[in-house]
Amino acid sequence: MWRITLKSLLAHKLRLALTAIAIVLGVTFVSGTYILTDTIHNTFTSLFSTVYQGFNFQVRGVAQFSNAGTAVRNPIPESILPEIQKVPGVEDAAGSVVGYAQFVSHGGKAIANNGAPTIGASLHSKTLSYLHIVEGRAPTTSHGVVMDAGTAKKYHFKVGQQVRVLLLGPPRTFTITGIARFGDTANLAGATMAAFDTPTAQKVLGEVGKFNAIYVKTAPGASNAAVQRDIARILPRGVDVVTRQVVVNEAISSINQPLSFLSTTLLIFAFIALFVGAFTILNTFSVVVGQRTRELALLRIVGASRRQVFRSVLGEAAILGLVSSLVGLGLGVLTAMGIEALLRGFGISMPSGSPVLAARTIIVALVLGVGVTILAAVSPARRAVRIPPVAAISDSHVADVSLRRRFTWGTSIAIAGVAVLGIGLSNHTIQLVGLGALGVFIGVAMLLPAVASPLSSAIGRPLARTLGTAGRLGRANSMRSPRRTAQTASALMIGLAVVSAFAVIGASISKSVTSVADNAVNADLIVYDKVSSPMSPGFSTTVPKVVAALPGVTMTDTIYGNTPMSGQFKFRHSLGTLTAVSARHLAGTVRLHMTAGDSRALASGAMLIDATVAKSNHLSVGDTVPVRFALTGRSTVRIGGVYKLNPIVGSYLVSDSYYLSHFQNPLPSAVLLRTSGGSSVEGEVQQALAPYPNVQVQNRAQLEHSQLAQIDKLLGLVYALLGLAVIIALIGIVNTLVLSVFERTREIGLLRAVGMKRRQVRMMIRAESVILSIFGAVVGIIIGTGLGVALASSLGSAGITAISVPVSSMVVFLILSAVLGLLAATWPARRAAKLDVLAAIAEE
Amino acid sequence: MEDNAYQDNVHTAGAAPVGTAPTAMTTGSGNGSPAAHAVDLCKTYGTGQAAVHALDGINVVFEQSRFTAVMGPSGSGKSTLMHCMAGLDNPTSGRSFIGGIEVGDLNDAGLTRLRRDRVGFIFQAFNLVPTLTAAENITLPLDLAGKKADKGWFDHLVGRLGIADRLAGKPSELSGGQQQRVACARALISRPELVFADEPTGNLDSMAAGEILSFLRMSVDELGQSIVMVTHDPRGAAYSDRVVFLGDGKVVGEMEQPTADSVLERIRTLAG
Ligand SMILES: Nc1ncnc2c1ncn2[C@@H]1O[C@H](COP(=O)(O)OP(=O)(O)OP(=O)(O)O)[C@@H](O)[C@H]1O
Ligand SMILES: [Mg+2]
Repeated sequence: MWRITLKSLLAHKLRLALTAIAIVLGVTFVSGTYILTDTIHNTFTSLFSTVYQGFNFQVRGVAQFSNAGTAVRNPIPESILPEIQKVPGVEDAAGSVVGYAQFVSHGGKAIANNGAPTIGASLHSKTLSYLHIVEGRAPTTSHGVVMDAGTAKKYHFKVGQQVRVLLLGPPRTFTITGIARFGDTANLAGATMAAFDTPTAQKVLGEVGKFNAIYVKTAPGASNAAVQRDIARILPRGVDVVTRQVVVNEAISSINQPLSFLSTTLLIFAFIALFVGAFTILNTFSVVVGQRTRELALLRIVGASRRQVFRSVLGEAAILGLVSSLVGLGLGVLTAMGIEALLRGFGISMPSGSPVLAARTIIVALVLGVGVTILAAVSPARRAVRIPPVAAISDSHVADVSLRRRFTWGTSIAIAGVAVLGIGLSNHTIQLVGLGALGVFIGVAMLLPAVASPLSSAIGRPLARTLGTAGRLGRANSMRSPRRTAQTASALMIGLAVVSAFAVIGASISKSVTSVADNAVNADLIVYDKVSSPMSPGFSTTVPKVVAALPGVTMTDTIYGNTPMSGQFKFRHSLGTLTAVSARHLAGTVRLHMTAGDSRALASGAMLIDATVAKSNHLSVGDTVPVRFALTGRSTVRIGGVYKLNPIVGSYLVSDSYYLSHFQNPLPSAVLLRTSGGSSVEGEVQQALAPYPNVQVQNRAQLEHSQLAQIDKLLGLVYALLGLAVIIALIGIVNTLVLSVFERTREIGLLRAVGMKRRQVRMMIRAESVILSIFGAVVGIIIGTGLGVALASSLGSAGITAISVPVSSMVVFLILSAVLGLLAATWPARRAAKLDVLAAIAEE
Repeated sequence: MEDNAYQDNVHTAGAAPVGTAPTAMTTGSGNGSPAAHAVDLCKTYGTGQAAVHALDGINVVFEQSRFTAVMGPSGSGKSTLMHCMAGLDNPTSGRSFIGGIEVGDLNDAGLTRLRRDRVGFIFQAFNLVPTLTAAENITLPLDLAGKKADKGWFDHLVGRLGIADRLAGKPSELSGGQQQRVACARALISRPELVFADEPTGNLDSMAAGEILSFLRMSVDELGQSIVMVTHDPRGAAYSDRVVFLGDGKVVGEMEQPTADSVLERIRTLAG
């Protein structure tokens, strides 16, 4: 029986290839994701081992809120250094300062590579430093800076030139005294580096008299454990000593979170593609089983058991799945390499980036690829088993599972899906949401044959009218087998449902943002940190002063916190990001919609929280809540009011005086301005802020626009990722059309014999394809819209406050589907038109 | 040898009178029992007004080691009889037996085994699996059973049928006659108790048809094979030992040692 399976596979190479594409693409996506993230992980791991070299211990402030690499740590006094140097067994020890420093290009732009950090650091003892000066020398005065080789090359800086550097304080100009490399790479995965001598670094990056860390190298022969113990003994409270391995591991784990976010996101789209692929496979296999009815029946007559027939179909699927998965795996490696090359092209240099093919990747790819294919083939295989042996000799049809049973199942699965979806949405459990959507899709796909004929008939009516006989035949063909039409359309339906759901969510976010921009701020102009670097702690404190001095500016409100690098504190048991405004100007610049309490409570040192936080913590006005700050430790705060979500001020709001007393030298993250009106004031502000390239000035319309643009960009990315699923669905249509052209060879030959032109044959096939596509698209858009509305309305707490269905996008999707359907028909139509009339009729 | 045992039975087996229920022979597949027989077999398609009684109470015996032809006008129920007796289709009522086994008693697995091990089939068209070579088609029943082909038997069949040089070809590369000879080899490869052939020569010219019929005749004479063949052609029927005539789902007559002329004569009488 295996021979028959193999022969049948090989006899239909074309069908095989088309079906395989669906799996190959899905598996490529999955394995590519794994390989890419594994490779990036590996790259960083080796990068960190390169960078963190030459020392045995690091002495540093203990982590304040968590132990992750991103934890907030207080700096340590430099007086510890001589003590450590005296510890027996210590060969060398040096203090290090790390902070924010951002170069400004010759053209006056703040330099940052795709959100990679912009690091400022101290240059210290040669043996302990990972920086190797390859040109020039270390700075000897407070006016010198060493630049990383990557930045120097990309932005054409040379030793001896002047460069402006943005710092915590006012920007300063330095002379480049040297160019350095990190270990053996030009830059650290896109990060830029400005290195100063230690006293200068303390002054411009941190605090005078403080280090961020002290690096210790032990003498040869000394017992590391003893040295660590002796150092720990002399350290003051709040400072500890850890081994190099701990530092490396922390650094690695700090990139794991964003990486796993990346891989999860990509995997979700990969699974959507695979799911759509499964429908394509299911469809192909059912058509094939239908076409092989006679052959399978003949096998049954000469003695094949039901089980043998079942296994033969599944075996075919298994082989197909295996081969496709292997191909997909190979393509996954290539894709990952391609993306890496792309990153290199962006100027992100990475050490030793050969693709990492983990055993996990291979196993997941094979299990998924083979599993999905086999699962998709189960239903066709069961149909094959039901073929009665007489089917070989008489034209009796395979008894289908009764439609009623199918619909009962379909309805139950769809309803169960909706229920699970509902539970998932109300609990915010993304897995349940996914499972529920899956159920809805499968249920609807099972119900689809019920509407296939009437819908195809309705969709095809205009075609039949305009295209004459060819159109009428195309329409009739699409109505001929509701089951096949429904199955072919299912894949596209799912693809478009997901696309539409995202379109609804995107439109709803856009609408919410618009209403936020209208409802969140009163200010005429918003000055904010471009956050081009995640290291960016905000902008210089001189910025609010500069703008306040302008004649057209009538009111300024300086906002602190509310960025990834500032405002971290502990609210009860969870980490939060604090925002501060000047209590006096709040009413004039920010629109807060209070649901309880009064915003004026800010002035008396109370905190305002947003409604979501209040609800999830069961807090109301007047409650007292424990809080903790890195600098000042434990404290309590009174809840003075509750407001509706407002993206400008985040979730936790205090007055600026409260903020200043709990954070060391905080920097502003935004300034809200009221002006005497007119664009001339805007121009003045722009001009006054020209020396601060990391600051952006926008009016309300621009703010709204830039936020919308961001959403569109994100949505574009999502569409691109979903594009694969849609392509797979289209391949499914191509596949079905090719198969049915093949199946109808005699019929087409007959039509040609009685005078149908080749052009009409092509038209007929195209009409059928367009009807199929529109059918799938219509159902998909309807379901996707429902799904999108449900998702969007459950995300109210995440900022989606308005629901919007983008009708124009839906129309575009529909038209696009029709066009793609037309394209999908190109090749099958050509095949049909090329059929030789005589051969077609003679074919048995 | 087994072949001799078949030969010995040629003359003792054919004695049961047609039309009488052979109740004494319903058990065991011993030498005395027929290769297949049917008792009051009825098959009705459709219900009410539209009901077609394709088989209307058929009693028939097909003796061992004999070549029986089934004839009758189109629509008389010949194919239906064959399907019901071979377990390809379920009769509406009545019983049918292969050897001593009651077909109606078998479940799907039992029917599968019956077809695979005890019965061979030859049809008018679509006899071969298009993706397999001629040789693979021949050994298909054995492959399905997980058995090895008896090399001597295979060579013997192939040699007798004159297809030894066509074994590597796909069905599409063979002529209709060659395809049908491959089908004959396949029907006999598992040494079945009975071969059912439904108009095996219907698509062939008289030359090719003659070759197939001679082979079937030979397999009865030399190997003691039992064969039931549906045919329209009086000359084909002349190869058989006995002809059973059907009309409107009933047995309307039979004839021993037919010749083309005597069959033609009988058909005329029946039609008139
Ligand atoms: N699947 C079916 N559904 C309904 N009626 C059927 C079916 N199969 C056969 N019949 C009817 O049963 C009767 C007997 O058919 P059968 O195929 O046995 O005839 P036949 O003797 O083999 O004819 P032919 O010589 O043309 O092959 C005919 O009237 C036919 O129309
Ligand atoms: Mg017939």
